[in-house]
Amino acid sequence: MREKVLIIPCSGIGKSLGSVAREASYMVTEELCRDRTRLMPLALLVLGDKETRTELSSAEVITIDGCVKACAAKVVEGTGGTVAHGLQVLDVCRRHPKLKPSGISELNESGHELAHALAEEVKELVEDMTGGLSNA
Amino acid sequence: MPELPTKKVGLIACSGEEIPEGTVTRLAVRKVLESLRPLHTVTICLPLFLAGGEGDRAFARFHPTIAIDGCEKRCAARGTEMFSGKPAVSIVVSDSVSAESAGLGTARRLSEKGMHVVGDVADQIARHVDHLLDLKWDRRSGGPVDGSTPQEESKPRQAACSCGSGIPSQVLRVAGREVTLIALPLIFAQFREAGKLPSDSTKAQLIEAVRIYNLIPDDEESAYARAVTEEYAAFCRGGN
Repeated sequence: MREKVLIIPCSGIGKSLGSVAREASYMVTEELCRDRTRLMPLALLVLGDKETRTELSSAEVITIDGCVKACAAKVVEGTGGTVAHGLQVLDVCRRHPKLKPSGISELNESGHELAHALAEEVKELVEDMTGGLSNA
Repeated sequence: MPELPTKKVGLIACSGEEIPEGTVTRLAVRKVLESLRPLHTVTICLPLFLAGGEGDRAFARFHPTIAIDGCEKRCAARGTEMFSGKPAVSIVVSDSVSAESAGLGTARRLSEKGMHVVGDVADQIARHVDHLLDLKWDRRSGGPVDGSTPQEESKPRQAACSCGSGIPSQVLRVAGREVTLIALPLIFAQFREAGKLPSDSTKAQLIEAVRIYNLIPDDEESAYARAVTEEYAAFCRGGN
């Protein structure tokens, strides 16, 4: 059985963009591609958890970062993983200039729409990586 | 005059996206930052200790920190200690709610009970903040008692993370090895703008200011003082 694609959001807590990254990750792993993806918390990688690193080393990874600090991509690469696709919410913002996310604990409507747009982009990548359509 | 960042309590949530307790940590920290103690707290994303620079890693050496973890893995507390500095306080959500965790909701959407736990954890964090900063809180007015609060900010702030505003640091050679001194560029700028020229009296004041933010071994104080003073003299000459 093919291993699931790991979706790793940035764990951003200080900006709306981090919340968009997190929400998009949930949309992908719980709704759009739930049978082909799994969400991995970045905090586990910060500690270098052995089990997590082992899983990371053999998996395909998509990172979703809120800001240019790119914590998720950097931490994955720094702990033995290979980032197949590193996405940034800021890039998605540029493609959807009318969407203005705000709120951190609770995203506004625009933030949810942006997360959905991002999740759809991730879904396409997952389908390319795993071949064929994901479950809806 | 450039000002050294005000001493605040740093909050570091594990933000574990896989479990509801992780969401509790994140929302509780946001509640403290936004409404309970906005003037006295800052946060930083845990992964920035690995992905960021020295200024980011200096976070817990500069601020007394409270680590808030969702589970017994204690990623926030252990990660903070490993890369930055030992947290003053460590809170583990699952310790207090393990029997009820089924009722917290999901990691993505907390239940009403989950949101109650967020409130409880946020209150717990706020109490620790008060203790760490020696604040006395007036329950009637909902504000700090006069004279017990550190430098208040004049304008309301939007609670945000500290990334991109890492504490400036500078590397000096002391007793034959390189050491990183937190906040040194700000201290130099502050001294120069106060008109303090390099001298023996300034040397004592400099080392006192540096000691606030850095650990200086007693047996190396004179070596540190010499290195800092020489660097300050160069800073003044260079007009940085």
